[in-house]
Amino acid sequence: MHQITKFPVNFFTLLGLMFSGLFFDASCLFAQERHTLSGYITALASGEALSNAKVYAPKLNKGALTNSYGFYSLTLPAGIHEIEFRFTGYPTVRKTLDLTKNDLPMNVELGFQDGEKVYDEVVVNGKKGDNVNSTKLGQIELDIEQIKRLPAFMGEVDVIKTIQLLPGVSSVSEGGQGFYVRGGGPDQNLVLLDEGVVYNAAHLFGFFSVFNSDAVKSVNLIKGGMPANYGGRMSSVLEVNMNEGNKKRFGVKGGLGIISSRLTVEGPLKKDKGSFIISGRRTYIDVLAKAAIPDSSPFAGSGYYFYDMNAKFNYQLGSKDRIFVSGYYGKDVFSFSDKKGGFGVTMPWGNGIAALRWNHLFSSKLFMNVTSTFSDYKFKFGSKQDQFKIEFVSGIQDYNSKVDFSYYPNDRHRIKWGANYIYHIFTPSSVSASQDTVVFNTGNAQKLHSHEEAIYLMDEFDANSRLRINAGLRYTAFQHVGPFTRYIKGDISKPDTSITYGKGDVIKFYHGLEPRLSFRYLLGDHSSLKGGYAYNYQFVHLTSLSAVSLPTDIWYPTTDKAKPEKGFQASLGYFQNFFDDKFETSVEVYYKGMKNMIEFKEGALPGDNVNDNTDNLLVFGQGWAYGAEFFIKKTTGKFTGWIGYTWAKTERKFPDLNNGKVYPAKYDRRHDLSVVGMYKINESWSISGSFIYATGNTLTLPTSWYVQDQNLLFNYGARNSTRMAPYHRLDLSATWYDDAYKTKTDPASGKEIQVKKRLRNNVAISIYNVYNRANPFFLYVDRNGDFLKGDFKLTVKQVSLFPIIPSVTWNFEF
Amino acid sequence: MELRILIFLAAAVLLGSCTKEVKIAIPGYQNQLVVDGSIRDGEPPIVLLSTTQNIYAPTDISSYLSSFVSDAVVSVSDGTTTVQLIQICTDNLPSGTEAYAEAIFGLPIDQLQQLHLCVYTSIDPSIFGQIGKTYSLTINHGGKTYTSSTTLESPSALGYLKWKAQPNNPTYGYLYGFLNDNPNHNDAYMWELKYLNDGFFTKPFGPYFNDQFFNGLSFEFTAYNPMSYADTAVANSSNAGFFHLGDTVVYRLSKMGQKEFQFFDKKTNQLFSAGSPFATPINVPSNISGGALGVWAGFSSWYDTVICQP
Repeated sequence: MHQITKFPVNFFTLLGLMFSGLFFDASCLFAQERHTLSGYITALASGEALSNAKVYAPKLNKGALTNSYGFYSLTLPAGIHEIEFRFTGYPTVRKTLDLTKNDLPMNVELGFQDGEKVYDEVVVNGKKGDNVNSTKLGQIELDIEQIKRLPAFMGEVDVIKTIQLLPGVSSVSEGGQGFYVRGGGPDQNLVLLDEGVVYNAAHLFGFFSVFNSDAVKSVNLIKGGMPANYGGRMSSVLEVNMNEGNKKRFGVKGGLGIISSRLTVEGPLKKDKGSFIISGRRTYIDVLAKAAIPDSSPFAGSGYYFYDMNAKFNYQLGSKDRIFVSGYYGKDVFSFSDKKGGFGVTMPWGNGIAALRWNHLFSSKLFMNVTSTFSDYKFKFGSKQDQFKIEFVSGIQDYNSKVDFSYYPNDRHRIKWGANYIYHIFTPSSVSASQDTVVFNTGNAQKLHSHEEAIYLMDEFDANSRLRINAGLRYTAFQHVGPFTRYIKGDISKPDTSITYGKGDVIKFYHGLEPRLSFRYLLGDHSSLKGGYAYNYQFVHLTSLSAVSLPTDIWYPTTDKAKPEKGFQASLGYFQNFFDDKFETSVEVYYKGMKNMIEFKEGALPGDNVNDNTDNLLVFGQGWAYGAEFFIKKTTGKFTGWIGYTWAKTERKFPDLNNGKVYPAKYDRRHDLSVVGMYKINESWSISGSFIYATGNTLTLPTSWYVQDQNLLFNYGARNSTRMAPYHRLDLSATWYDDAYKTKTDPASGKEIQVKKRLRNNVAISIYNVYNRANPFFLYVDRNGDFLKGDFKLTVKQVSLFPIIPSVTWNFEF
Repeated sequence: MELRILIFLAAAVLLGSCTKEVKIAIPGYQNQLVVDGSIRDGEPPIVLLSTTQNIYAPTDISSYLSSFVSDAVVSVSDGTTTVQLIQICTDNLPSGTEAYAEAIFGLPIDQLQQLHLCVYTSIDPSIFGQIGKTYSLTINHGGKTYTSSTTLESPSALGYLKWKAQPNNPTYGYLYGFLNDNPNHNDAYMWELKYLNDGFFTKPFGPYFNDQFFNGLSFEFTAYNPMSYADTAVANSSNAGFFHLGDTVVYRLSKMGQKEFQFFDKKTNQLFSAGSPFATPINVPSNISGGALGVWAGFSSWYDTVICQP
């Protein structure tokens, strides 16, 4: 019997010691005068903030990283210090700085002048050694330029497909956008775009990501040891930050692909003070469908398209204040028309996200960020058959505000605290139906209102030169409030009853503490041991009736009946770098326990929640997952890439499902291997490839058949008791770059110089599924023939989605 | 409607994909008793017993026929009278029951008479279905006892049922009726049709519905012709689904209990969505206790005869 253990009480002792240690440290600090070097690090060519840039004092072996807004603060003993400013892909800047008497504000620009030729020899790995030194456990930052060099499905560069190549991360299905992290469900991933929650990160039923790579600046995945400043989900955080736009000059970039095109415009609002970026993307599938289906066809009018737009504006109000306004809007529209049958369907769905952020610098040691976001996800299904019409609407609206403080009291402590409030409005299902002029009674739209609050405090501190600890505590609370109607279904001859709650009535209140702890212990210059423990509450749940992820999956909040999911993850890792940090390796093991997980009860169907609460159709249970992840990565040189392998097991136990017996999760995969390589042949050509192998997903198939009233029916076996064939695939790509420079005579010196061309372009050729493997998407039992004529046959069929698919994309920039 | 879109999505996936037969281990087969039993007002109980077959078992007629069970002891009780059902077999049918046997087994009478397929039933009128009564079924087979019960609800009558020609085709039209739903019931219905001289009723696509959407409402609805799809003269024409001018048809609207409706509703759903990745694997919920599959269903019916004319 697996039990979810509670966090150790000793945690509070540790927390107390940590903060008493902070004040002890502070008292000791008076013994030696110290001063703080602080400021922003930005890209020289564009003026954009650089997150995770490193500020390092090599002689003292002290350093600091910039936050996501490019701010850093490093307190050092009084004196003159040589300081290095590093960022991956850029030359290191070294400065000798005088911190003898005062704090020193220092903004630094890294990189290259626009037009300056970049030579590989001067480019460094700015994150050299970070994987060993940081307390980050199960945390990976992806370089968007690296993502763009990888093979792309149908030419669409995809953030989420790239993270699916990392150990511990699995895709939900072939081509799917949903991802599972260390045995958690796809709803257990907090996906943030500029701090706004993205509830559905997929286009085209999951085959494409909502993240337009031209608008994305950075991608950070936290799959274990979640710090206390994040909450609300149990498995992972995927943080995607949008580009800020070029503060120096106007620019345009875009791409023309086989199914979609994109265009991005950016430029300064005021040079070096503010900038904007607007990026859009649209598919042409509907245009192709229109050409393929003549107007005379009964199916004319059927089609599909999606589009999305990103926009962001930022402005520096002074040396201490910056504001950011960003937004995303994306929509998918599917339509089907059968004029002959008098049948039609329209199915639009999409996300809208708006974010307003304000950075304020109280001092060289105290940084504040205030964020207000609005997230809106809506799914609509409308159908018409002659005079019968039905419409189904589902959606979520979040009004989210939070404030985060970062305090850097000395070189040993990095403290964060903050608060978060979210007002959720869920519409799990709103159904309306009519027959001609008669409107059917489908009940009132089920809207659920709730408040979610959190406060947190965390400190990352160096206990000594080898041991670094990140400890935090998060307190979360959730109120399910009215207006709300609780339906109580009666049997035949008994009328249904209900309980009605008024606006603002607190129907149920949940709260709890979420302790977080991670540590790093340096074993040597190039190796470390890391561990982590995180306890999480989750108040929103994704419920699915289908075997694959669909936009019809319903987001449902915690209610008086559906309790919050809660669970913990404990992980331990050994990190070792080789050959001067050119090779990074790690082994991580984890165990995750989850309670109050949600599934639809056996036999539930779409529409069963009409005139009923969706949670009356839900059942609750627990889950657990454990595994080991092995990772080796080559970070520098002409050849870069990684190999990741995961051994894992994830199971579920629901009293009301599978006769109460333990069963494997549908994405339980014993083995998961990914091999990724990129090779820069010369300035004009680079090639890359990726290979993945995964144990087949589980599914539920019928074990027997029987006949009732001349109909052959299936009797399904134990839940997820059948396993599909293994999944493996090789993708390759090659990118040709037009020479970005031209030779010009410098009018001043008369010498020939290399200057960047105004128009730069490249052509990316990708081949998806090179050896045309028919990977299983799903299996089903096919019925063929006439049962009573004696030629009837049942066969198990495997459906595979994507054969070998070549694609070409032309990208340009000027 | 949702079902149709799911089917369309499944079809779209299938069209854009590659499908091949695979042999894969499907563990967990168990041999279970299957009950297909019903009782109608004014009619005797009818019970067919069979067993489940492994998903990889042969699906020819002889395998199907060999799955029938004829060594069970079956009884039905209305709370006062208990009657043990007798077996009537196709190779020894009482005169006048041939069409009924064809309807039950779906095979022509000449073929049936060569086979030994049996139904459990009774000729004792005291156990014929009566509205308002609850009928308990008990089956003893293989050392196990299986039980169930069903109630014959009061039937609901339509306000009217009429024929109307299509706007541009005066010889083919559709039926339209008016339903008054009882506001105090969670009503469940089944509708069927037959031509006056047909031996048995034909179920349309999706014959089962309940008042989840329209509890207590009154409204007009249309009904299509399910028999036309078996008529080769019109099955593939634009007249498929319509009633010919001059046809005489009998409409049967039957009421049933909620548990029975759950069985038929989920059965319909499984028939139309099984195999779709967008649908959840649904086991049809049985109302038989003791571990058997299938249903024991009581139907109370209202009949109307319509002559298709303006």
